[in-house]
Amino acid sequence: MNPMQPVYITAFCILRNRQLVVDGRVVLANHSGLSLGDWLKSAYQQLGMDYPKFYKMDALAKATLIAVEWISRTLPVAGTNTPLVFSNYSSSMVSDDRHAAGIYDPDDASASPGVFVYTLPNIGMGEVSIRHQLHSENVFFIFERFTPEFLVPYVTGMLEREGLQQVLAGWVEVGADGTCDVLLYAVSRHGKLPHTIEQLNALYNKDYE
Amino acid sequence: MKPVYLHGDHILSPLGDGSQVNFAQLLEGHSGVHVHDRPDLHTRPICASLINDAEISGLAEPSEDYTRLERLLIHAVQALVSRFDIPMDHKTAVILSTTKGNIGLLRHPRGGSIAGSRVYLSQLATQIRHHFKLPHDLVVLSNACISGALALSVARQLLQGDQYQRAIVVGGDELSHFILSGFDAFQAMSDEPCCPYDRDRIGINLGEAAVAAYLSTERRAGSIAILGAGSYNDANHISGPSRTGEGLYRSIQTALTEAGVERLDYISAHGTATPYNDEMEAVALGRVGLTEIPLNSLKGYYGHTLGASGLLETLVGCHCLREGILLKSPGFEHVGTSVRLNIITEHRRAPLDTFMKLASGFGGTNVAIIFRNT
Amino acid sequence: MSELTQELKERIIKQLNLEDITLDDLQDDTPLFGDGLGLDSIDALELIVMLDKSYGIKLADPKEGRKVFETIQTMADYIEANRP
Repeated sequence: MNPMQPVYITAFCILRNRQLVVDGRVVLANHSGLSLGDWLKSAYQQLGMDYPKFYKMDALAKATLIAVEWISRTLPVAGTNTPLVFSNYSSSMVSDDRHAAGIYDPDDASASPGVFVYTLPNIGMGEVSIRHQLHSENVFFIFERFTPEFLVPYVTGMLEREGLQQVLAGWVEVGADGTCDVLLYAVSRHGKLPHTIEQLNALYNKDYE
Repeated sequence: MKPVYLHGDHILSPLGDGSQVNFAQLLEGHSGVHVHDRPDLHTRPICASLINDAEISGLAEPSEDYTRLERLLIHAVQALVSRFDIPMDHKTAVILSTTKGNIGLLRHPRGGSIAGSRVYLSQLATQIRHHFKLPHDLVVLSNACISGALALSVARQLLQGDQYQRAIVVGGDELSHFILSGFDAFQAMSDEPCCPYDRDRIGINLGEAAVAAYLSTERRAGSIAILGAGSYNDANHISGPSRTGEGLYRSIQTALTEAGVERLDYISAHGTATPYNDEMEAVALGRVGLTEIPLNSLKGYYGHTLGASGLLETLVGCHCLREGILLKSPGFEHVGTSVRLNIITEHRRAPLDTFMKLASGFGGTNVAIIFRNT
Repeated sequence: MSELTQELKERIIKQLNLEDITLDDLQDDTPLFGDGLGLDSIDALELIVMLDKSYGIKLADPKEGRKVFETIQTMADYIEANRP
């Protein structure tokens, strides 16, 4: 079997600890104890997006959208055939928990369609697809932790397919408790940073203060 | 791509425990969809397809160690492993497709003794892993209603490398108040048996199933080959399908191009019986010129089994190929889509060589996969 | 009547997460769907839930929804006419 062609990480975005890092630079940081919702709102406003749908999204979809928005400002994303290969641990627990709280409320049990629609982990990818008009493949994996051991060969294998130039992949762990641990990155055939397990672990584990 | 083959499967559903049993029931025209009054599941009676645990011989008793869904999934995988003597070793990938897993545990007022952390899909997967003493984690995917079919495409991708020689793809979901209340909020469910593609269709019936399939790159007698696949997002709306069926259209085109087949003998469509889904599928099939191919939706027999559906319906399609039988699409009487499809109205025999499975889901997802009898 | 339209505006902005819309943006006759506020199918379902939970009115026929939810005013009129 032929060895796979080398591919490269061409952009990345991290949202963690109320810090937004793009290609290694901290572009937004807040240490005043902002709630996740308020921090994501400030990140959205910083981008100057004018996209009112943002406010309907849950925290998982918001964080996903913001990370991809930053990547889309340096790389061609809109209207391309760029598959999305995202993953996390909690699936859609952010919204699952809200929905469950609503239906089991002892005084006022009810279900909100606007909440229920987000009780699937792939909806954030759907929002990204709509925002950037991406008619592409979406796959959402569940792992216990960020797992480049799986993602690297899988994404590299996808790029072996004819016609695919770029894949967006990564980890979008957003918890019902307000934790946010997001690393999204673009992988393509040409670039400088090698798309390897070691490289991704380095990006993921680095302290960007 | 290296060719990948489906060798066998196990279907555990309201129609029975075992693929032969299920197919026999389908041939008789039986459906698993009934009205159930289950206050433990929902605040009003539901028209759905529920597994009756008591009818499954050998299903593990309720225990503190396994949730109901875990027992169902393990049962399906075990049946497959036993029948095909599949070594659960480092060369066997196990891919799990589920939309909500053990979500019924989440904030449930009558808690029980299973750890709350089992609502996390990794934890569910770990239970299955430990049961089979698999030396590595399951690959878990959760992609709304296309998960089951997409899992086959993922398995095919994984089998291209050297890491795995074979794969078990398992899909399942169980119904819960969590899920039923949500679909109610969407006004998506019908109180009667669903009518895919029919003029008077008003909504879905939900269903449960646990199904498992055995795949490898080795061709064997009776295997069904995966010839091509395509999956594209609509990029239109997170819950409503594209009016032009753009994502499904592209998915079908890509699958057809990769498969390189000259003809398709049967289409197992998604057909959930919502006004929008069925119309969208018809539009997409019209655009790609496949409206003459005999087509059905199996949702009238099984309901919409969510994370199991794409896989369950594919496996039934494989049995149809092997037996040379086209199954009637239950619930269809009057044309109800702007583009007319060739809906199968009675069971009939036909020489079948290839079929295509379609699925679409929330988040704008779509998938098309083409199979051939070898 | 204007108390009800005021209440509806506040409820809608909150329930539908219209964070970028102010009360002044929302006139009694602003079209809620299509051009105007541009609400979508999920918003329509949320309005049906709101009608039931907050005003005790069950909208059985979704086709009725189009007319009822045309504007704040049509919603208020419908509620006044149908509340138990």
